[in-house]
Amino acid sequence: MTSTELDDGKQGQRVTSTVTTTEAVADGGRPRRTGGRDLGHLWDSWGMTACLAVLVAFAAATDPEFLQLANIQSVLTESAYLGIVAAAMTVAIVNGTFDLSVGGQLALVSVVSLMGYEAGGTGLAVAAALGCGLACGLVNGTLVTLLRVPPFVATLGMLFVFRGVAYILTEDSPAVLPYTEIDSGFAQLGSMRIAEVPLPFLLMVGFFAATYVFLRRTTAGRRVVAYGSSPEAARFSGVSATRVRFLVFGLLGLAVGIAVLTYITRIWTADGATQDGFELRVITAAVLGGASLQGGKGSLVGTFSAVLLVAVLNDLMVGQGVSAGVQQMVLGGVLILALGIDGVRTKYGHRFRAVLSRRREVAAPS
Amino acid sequence: MKRFKHLALAAASLTLALSACSSSTDDSGDGGKDKSSEDKLVVGFSVYDMQYEFFQKMAEGTQSAVEAKGWEFKLHDEKSDENEMVTGAQALLDQGVDVLIISPFKPDALGPIIAKADQMDVPVIVDDIGGGGTPYDAIVISDNEDGGVQAAEYMDAQIKAAGTTSKKVVSITCEPSAVYAARRNEGFRAKVEELGYEVVTELSGNSKAEEAYKIMKDALAKDPDVAGVFACNDPMAVAASNAIADAGKDPVKDIVTVGFNGDEEALTAIEKGQLSATIAQDPSAMGELTVELAATAVEGGDLPFDNAEDREVYQDVTLITPENVADAR
Repeated sequence: MTSTELDDGKQGQRVTSTVTTTEAVADGGRPRRTGGRDLGHLWDSWGMTACLAVLVAFAAATDPEFLQLANIQSVLTESAYLGIVAAAMTVAIVNGTFDLSVGGQLALVSVVSLMGYEAGGTGLAVAAALGCGLACGLVNGTLVTLLRVPPFVATLGMLFVFRGVAYILTEDSPAVLPYTEIDSGFAQLGSMRIAEVPLPFLLMVGFFAATYVFLRRTTAGRRVVAYGSSPEAARFSGVSATRVRFLVFGLLGLAVGIAVLTYITRIWTADGATQDGFELRVITAAVLGGASLQGGKGSLVGTFSAVLLVAVLNDLMVGQGVSAGVQQMVLGGVLILALGIDGVRTKYGHRFRAVLSRRREVAAPS
Repeated sequence: MKRFKHLALAAASLTLALSACSSSTDDSGDGGKDKSSEDKLVVGFSVYDMQYEFFQKMAEGTQSAVEAKGWEFKLHDEKSDENEMVTGAQALLDQGVDVLIISPFKPDALGPIIAKADQMDVPVIVDDIGGGGTPYDAIVISDNEDGGVQAAEYMDAQIKAAGTTSKKVVSITCEPSAVYAARRNEGFRAKVEELGYEVVTELSGNSKAEEAYKIMKDALAKDPDVAGVFACNDPMAVAASNAIADAGKDPVKDIVTVGFNGDEEALTAIEKGQLSATIAQDPSAMGELTVELAATAVEGGDLPFDNAEDREVYQDVTLITPENVADAR
């Protein structure tokens, strides 16, 4: 698989094995050599999307208010900040790492962004959000690569540090976008729509697309995947683990910065307690989408669908007046069910897969 | 490349679906609004968190008042989350409520909600907590200052009945950012001083029991002859009572201890003789009051403000003593 083959963009000229291999790579899964798709492969990439479709159909059938334009816009707008960070988290998991500090980053970046607005209006607020997010990511990257702190410990520690700084900055009073600024661009950002599609959701789609292109069309992106699926092999072929990791944490920080632009412009206030437990919801979405915390496996398509699935599920439950406790139990149940299906498939599915793919393997010219 | 196309396709079809929705629902959305104003009114109530008894009672009071008027009631639970608060309250507006009542988890996040309500010409009545400097139509709060005054008067009567001659009292406040709660201690202070007492210690326990315990312990070390203590909430009052008991005194007979809220733990303490009194808030009546204000606001009538400048309307509070604690349950 050379870069010329990947960059020419003409699918027809590729041999079958190259196409499927790059597919699996971009999706973060283990490269597959089979020419066709077996059921397991289909479930990996489209299982969550199918679940989402079923849930949406169910919602449309049972809740007359679900399909109202305003409700769909609300669900999509609400998904954006979680989705953007979940996309970056999927990249991190594909790379074999993860970040527990994103909740602290979200709180701190939100506070700093609002302070930026107070000091210099919309422009500074946007710059502060992106800059502070990136800075947070680079701090994590430095700890993990230069100081060799294990990612779990480094990001767990930074979760408290980031939240702590946010608490200190808002000790006297929470950071606020005052009501007098209602007509400013910053206040409008979160509720803006283009052809009825909420801007936050467009940002999320854009971020997923950019991440997708990054993973499969750039050398750096392919290194992220290569290192995640086989660190040993990647090291032998000269991939610098340090640089790749640094990049991954930088991307996470930047994602938080963009996510904050869709979050704080809707909520208008932040302090140290903002979005407590956010990191776990992000990781839940990625895992639900097919990412494996053992590393090296994750699917952007799956994560995208999982984010929307969780949002639709929450919307349905809120609409039905389900209590907070039950809502959390359902989310936990869905997560375990999804992984349970995956586990059963891995355990018993190989026999069927073997039968299904034997013929194709013979046919594939690899 | 193939998978990327799928992603683009998914996004594109969503966009299409959305624009399809917009053309089909736009007119019916407006129609729905007209219909509801002739028909029955729809009242949306976004509540702080239904896990707390205080807000359960507030929701019950609001709901029964709405239904007594023959209107429709829609409840939304913010679940102590500012994101859920903004999303859910805006969703109520999207569902075409004619008036929004809200007890905000974060008053500062009221901005985007009020902005949207304003755009849709829907009146907003805030129930307790705070208004976040937004142009809400009215805010209902307990008559905190009067509660402080009642506490001072009861304390004075009890001190005189016990024959205590000391004129030293202690006041424990909530966190400084709780501006409405601060009025309890302001009302208390003004009244006790008028009655000839001296507030020898006034400190913030940040609404927390453990801090209140320490404040009371230190206050007793400084002035062993303290005659009474008033705390801004019940957990702090009970903690102060414990500090008094630990110092070898009786928190009812030796030092008159008064709290605020009417929490379960305070009622129990009053029954057991460990707390002199508390000032009970009435969340159910607060809910009923918001519905009355909502009715007036929808008709475009003048709202009966107790403080017109900040558009505040007060709900009466009740003194709970051993004599009437049984009725308070």
